[in-house]
Order: sequence, then structure tokens, then C-alpha cells
Amino acid sequence: MSAAPGRAPVLQVRDLQAHFRTRYFGVDREVRAVDGVGFDVRRNEIYGLAGESSSGKTTLVKTIAGLLKPPLEMVGGSARFSFLPEWDAVGRAPPEVVRRIRWRHLSYIMQGSMNVLNPLRRIRHSFRDFAWRHIGGGKREFDARAAAHLERVRLDPSVLSAYPHELSGGMRQRVTIALATICKPDFIIADEPTTALDVVVQKDVLGMIRSIQREMESSILFITHDMGVHAALTDRLGIMYAGRLVEDGETPEIFGRPLHPYTRHLIASLPRIGDVEQREGLEGTPPNLAMPPPGCRFHPRCPLAMPLCATTVPAMVETLPGHRVACHAVNPGAAA
Amino acid sequence: MSALLELDKVSKSFSRGGLFSSRRVDAVKEVSFTLDDGRPEIFTVIGESGSGKSTLARMILGINAASSGQVRLAGRDVASYERRAFMAQVQPIFQNPFEAFNPLKRLDRYLFMTAERFGGAADRAAAEELADGALRQVGLSLAEVSGRFPHELSGGQLQRVAVARALVARPRLIVADEPVSMVDASLRMSIVNLFGRLRDELGLSIIYITHDLATAYYISDRLIIMQKGMVVEAGPARAVLSAPSHPYSRQLRDAVLTPDSAGAFRARHPLKAAATPGATP
Repeated sequence: MSAAPGRAPVLQVRDLQAHFRTRYFGVDREVRAVDGVGFDVRRNEIYGLAGESSSGKTTLVKTIAGLLKPPLEMVGGSARFSFLPEWDAVGRAPPEVVRRIRWRHLSYIMQGSMNVLNPLRRIRHSFRDFAWRHIGGGKREFDARAAAHLERVRLDPSVLSAYPHELSGGMRQRVTIALATICKPDFIIADEPTTALDVVVQKDVLGMIRSIQREMESSILFITHDMGVHAALTDRLGIMYAGRLVEDGETPEIFGRPLHPYTRHLIASLPRIGDVEQREGLEGTPPNLAMPPPGCRFHPRCPLAMPLCATTVPAMVETLPGHRVACHAVNPGAAA
Repeated sequence: MSALLELDKVSKSFSRGGLFSSRRVDAVKEVSFTLDDGRPEIFTVIGESGSGKSTLARMILGINAASSGQVRLAGRDVASYERRAFMAQVQPIFQNPFEAFNPLKRLDRYLFMTAERFGGAADRAAAEELADGALRQVGLSLAEVSGRFPHELSGGQLQRVAVARALVARPRLIVADEPVSMVDASLRMSIVNLFGRLRDELGLSIIYITHDLATAYYISDRLIIMQKGMVVEAGPARAVLSAPSHPYSRQLRDAVLTPDSAGAFRARHPLKAAATPGATP
């Protein structure tokens, strides 16, 4: 991995494995939702994760954030934050340590703002619930700080007295962004934060996330299936397929020179306004992760599949500087 | 040339609230357009959430009656049709195939029921033949679907079954409300291309309701752009989207993020520290 000088990783994920283990009527079932994922997120960058539904994006970030609930289990590997160097994953640290870093160092922006904001409490109280204990000070002082912070996402301080249902979807999502950033955390996890918003509002919210991130110099792990959003927003991009990372690199590099056949398809299949070229869908369907195909999980749908792909898992190899790919056709002779 | 579907100043308003403080909400205001018979096309309705596009679809399907104005199919008011005769000509496809199908019911039952009620199949053998023919149109077969439950298929396959179910009735018009927004990215274009084939090969007209301007540009012939229940711009799809004239259409067009908009936000907020390593090819 080509670490740029002076930009140490805030998050190092190595060979992370997270499985859903269920046991119904004596039948054990294991869904390997995240299987051997490794990447770095550096300081002051937005790292994007792209992939289709059920490719393991959300499971991956839940594992990284330590939000593990049965049947989800972290089976192996590590996800180490620079602000929590003594533990190799948030989920393995004791609860009092996690409480200390949560929101202060690690915060989240979720998809459904209605699920974050308590519908029965004014926005002011949500701010107090989330952030007061980390910031401290008097009640007035804290409220003034919350009001000042809301202005950064271009919301009027009167929003503090409103209930969530009185705000539009875009305003609510801006409130959750303000909530997630008021403590100036080192690391923010954003899971599909704009998917439920209309395109015009989405553009606004993305610009806001970008400017706050640059101002605070924090790192964001940004998840969405929308390749257009990744192209516009992220610095580096990882592509997930069926629980594994198949390619990652600088975002302009991934879009300009995609190497993995799946990435190439994802980018080539997007229609563009002003372009009438025929675009094709990909044959087949994403695999069932309870019974994933052996070898490379993409091989049943891959136009470049070779006999080797059905038996051996391709290793993630730095094919070009800073650009890693897991594919036998791109990297001959590299097995995991 | 006669008209297949005519909307004549169709409006729909809902009243909200109780006895003392009722408020009228105009969901759709005076929308008019005509689809010609004998000239199949994909007619797109674009708008963001709350713009009234789904309400419009429900009125075309005869699920809701218009508050004023008229929806006419082949010259007759939609409300005057006997329900079965109407459904044999106009069929819906919905956004989320997992919600459209009952999870406890086998998929082939839907196909057979549609064949018997609307497709004119006299017995089971005729229904099976119709179902198989429709499934083959969408790249599946009865053997693959027979006896399966919705959860056994992926979202893309299930949406294709939903299209096949609509085709079993041999309709003249399909109303598809956000048919690809729940379908995986790698499969989305196969559904969109399928609509193109249905138009070109079967001569079906399709009303394609979406908020995705890129697929609208790619597949549709004509479109209308709706805002707050009103049509703000209408015309040939590619001409309108290439050079939108209404401020709202322009705003929508400019907000579309594609791979070509790479760095739209990066450029405005460059790194303060060293420049991003790695060259753009």
C-alpha cells in the first residue's frame, strides 16, 4: 500500500472476517458476509466503499464500529484505529473504553435520519443526549455551541427547538450531520447518508459533508451503492463484491482505469445524459453468501473467467502504484 | 391516429386533517398528455418524491379516481370500464418486487391467475403456455420459476417475473412506477433494456416513472418533468434533457452525479496538505 508521507492511516483493516452464525432446529448456517477484507483509511480523506445490496458493506462497517450483535460475529482479522492503539478492534475493547471514544473520536451518519432523532424530543435534547457529556460545560454554553455548529450546515438556530417531524428530510439529514461532527471526531462512518434524499438535496448535503470534513481534517468511511456519488465525493474508493474487496485505489484512477472486470462493468453500465451508447446489464446474480462459489466469487459471472478462478481465491495485489486488484486475469500467478 | 391513453387536465387533491382543520393538498394539478395508438413509446414521468408522479400512476391505473379532469383509455373514461376488461389492457409494475409479491405464495400462482383472469386462458395448460411465453420474453422460463417462492429469487430476477406477470395479460400499456430503483446496479440495465425490447418487439407502450434522469435519457422517447403536482416541462426526452429550459429541470439535471462528474466536490475543497498522490490517467 503506498502510504503518502505525512498521512498516517487512522484505520487499518487487516483480513477482517465477520460471519452471521445461526442455528435453527439443529441446522448450523454460516453466512460469510465479510471475508478477508483489508484496507487503510488515512487522515483527512474520504474513503468510499461501493458495492451492490448484500455485498457486505454495512456488515463491514458495523464490524469496524464494534456494533456487533448476534448472530453477527467478528471471526478473525483486525480493524485498528490510531486513537485506540491498544485494541485490535473496537468490538474487542471493554465497554468503558468504547464509551470513552464513541462520538468523541468515532461517530456515525446513518441513512434514516428518523431512526437517529428521537421523534418525541426536540432537536436540542438530541444534541444534549449525544454530545454534552463529551464536550462538557454549562447547559447554556453547550446550547450556544450547538446553535453555532448548526450554522455550519446552514440551519437556523431555531431548529434546536423543533421536533424532527417539523423538518424536511434534507434538514433532518443535515441535523444528523451536525450531530455527528459537533465533537470534531477523528473518524466518521457514513452509511448511505444521502440515499433517501432527492437528487437536488443530495448534492447540497454531499457538498456540506465535504466542506466540514476538509475543515476538521477528519477521515470519513463513506458507503453508498451510487457510483456517481463516489466519483464526485471520495478520495479513494474500494469496490466490494460478495463480501470481499476486489479493487481499491484513488477514485479518479478507479474510474479512469478500472482493472477488475466487475468494476469495469459497474462503471461501463451507467448510462449518461448526452450519450446514447447501448449499455448492458450483467448476466447472472450476486451469489448467496451462505453458499458462495469457491475460488473467486465473481467467476460465475465473469467474462474473463479461467479454470483457476473456480478453485483459487485471487490475492489483493498492488498492480499499479496505489491501485490494488484481486483478479487472476489481471495479476497472473497471484493466489491468496 | 386514435389515442391509446389521454389525460385531459387531470387533477387530484386530498384533504388532510380532521373536521375542523382540514387542509386540501393538490397532489396533481391539471396534467394532460396523450399516447397515440399504433406508435408504441416509452413515456417517462420524472419528478422527486412528493411531486405527484405516483398519484398520477394510480389514476392512470384506475386505483384512484381523478378529482377533476378525465383519464381516457381508447376514448373511454377509465372509470366506465369493467375492472377486468380494463386490467387486461393496462398492467402495473411496482417499485419493490419483494413487496409486490406475497412471500408465502408461489410465483407461478401469480402468473396463472393473471393468465386466467386477464389473459383469456381457458384452462391450466393454456395458462402455463402463456406464462412460459411471457417468462421467455424476459429471459426466464416457467421451469426456472415454477414452484419457487419470492425469497428464492434475487431482486433483479423477481422484477423480471413482475414484468412477465404484466405481459401475461397481453396488455397494451404498462405503467411502471420506479421499476429499477430497488434492483442491483449490475442488473439494472437489463431491466431497462427489457423495456426497450418490449416497445420495439411487442409494440407495447410503457409509462416509466422515475427520478433517475440518466436511464430516462437512455430509454425514453418523450417525457414530462413534474414539480409539486404540475408539469413544468414536456417534450422529446433527449432534447429536453440535453437542453432543459425550466429552472427546475435545469436544477435537476445539474444535480445528477455521474462518473464523469468526477471530483465535483474534490475540486471545490482541495486538500490543504500535500496534493493527492496518484496521477489521473
